[in-house]
Amino acid sequence: MDIALATLLSPIVLFFLLGLAAALLKSQMTIPEAFAKGLAIYLMMSIGLKGGVAISEGDLGWDAGLVMVSAVALSFLLPVIAYALLRLTTRLNEVDSAATAAHYGSISIVTFVAAGQAISAAGLQTSGYLVAVAALMEVPAIISALIIAYRGAGQGENVAGSHRGELAREVLLNASVVVLLGSLIIGWISGAAGMKAIAPFFAEPFQGVLCLFLLDMGLSAGRGLRNGWRQLGPGTVAFGIYMPLISGLLAAGVAALNAMGAGDAALLITLAASASYIAVPAAMRLALPKARPSIYLTLSLGITFPFNLILGLPLYIWLARAISPGAS
Amino acid sequence: MHVRRRLELIIERMAAPRACKILETSGLTGYTVLPAISGFGGDTRWSRDTDMSASSDMVIVVSIGSDDKVDAALAELERLLGSHIGVLSVGDVQVLRPERF
Repeated sequence: MDIALATLLSPIVLFFLLGLAAALLKSQMTIPEAFAKGLAIYLMMSIGLKGGVAISEGDLGWDAGLVMVSAVALSFLLPVIAYALLRLTTRLNEVDSAATAAHYGSISIVTFVAAGQAISAAGLQTSGYLVAVAALMEVPAIISALIIAYRGAGQGENVAGSHRGELAREVLLNASVVVLLGSLIIGWISGAAGMKAIAPFFAEPFQGVLCLFLLDMGLSAGRGLRNGWRQLGPGTVAFGIYMPLISGLLAAGVAALNAMGAGDAALLITLAASASYIAVPAAMRLALPKARPSIYLTLSLGITFPFNLILGLPLYIWLARAISPGAS
Repeated sequence: MHVRRRLELIIERMAAPRACKILETSGLTGYTVLPAISGFGGDTRWSRDTDMSASSDMVIVVSIGSDDKVDAALAELERLLGSHIGVLSVGDVQVLRPERF
């Protein structure tokens, strides 16, 4: 209960709620688009560097490798479950279901960052290699969902003007993957000594920048909801809330099998429970252009992201403590 | 002044490279891509500041060319719009230097 209250009253959640309320009340407040993109890159660089430094200090062993393999397998599996549930419980067609399922197998890096803050506030330790896990979990769900769509709905037609390699480039070289993995490697190479030199920029202002970014996320989520809520039926909205819980439970199983510590388990559960709204939508516009972005974007950004941020994080931390050996 | 045809395509940003490739392979000698700010269509409102991925952003592609080149582009652009969100319009315009189009 204390964790739930502390999360809800943390500045990052409160700034998110401020942005959400402002957008729902039709405030004209905006954060310039280019500035918001800069903030996103800053946050990814910061957590990538931090993870890389942790790895350089001996934070990467066989157990970490096993977690990475398990996480990738989970990311492949989740869209299959999500697709089946969407087809069973909603009126979404095959293409919309496959595109939405891809979002729920991939991850939200902002939820991951917010989880890191909440986990740290709860007094738990996390490992740097989880940043690599986050980057690795971006892509498999896209492949999984495309296989479902191409086999089930025959969506593999050749779109006019498309060219070889454009989808692979978008999926494998999108900003999240490049910046996260790039910063992780730079942090790994430069180590703690290198990080010390740039810490005044990448470490100290991190929390404040996160607040600013969450304010923008609140505005985006609110505007997305305001513009797209008509596209979502009750079954689809319910999916946006129960799917993270199913994914979280499966990730908890993976964490228990790998005997992960409570902090790491909470991060893995959060990654699995989160839904993408940056990397996957772009890939879906190229690969499944007939899928409606007003459904998958509104659902992942307008329903699942706020749910995870406000209610999910304390729940995932509690779950991680419950399944982790030696956690209090 | 000389008459040429002006093609204006409002299309989602992610599909713009595909549209531009079609224009180039159709022999059109140039085009300009402009950002769109917000709009409404298909029962959905959209704006640039809603979508963190910017994948739902729309752009406007403008090109001017001779009849045969624009017609060649139109056939392929129609196929493209069978998959992607967009609106295409064509009209006559007057240009000062016809050899450039």
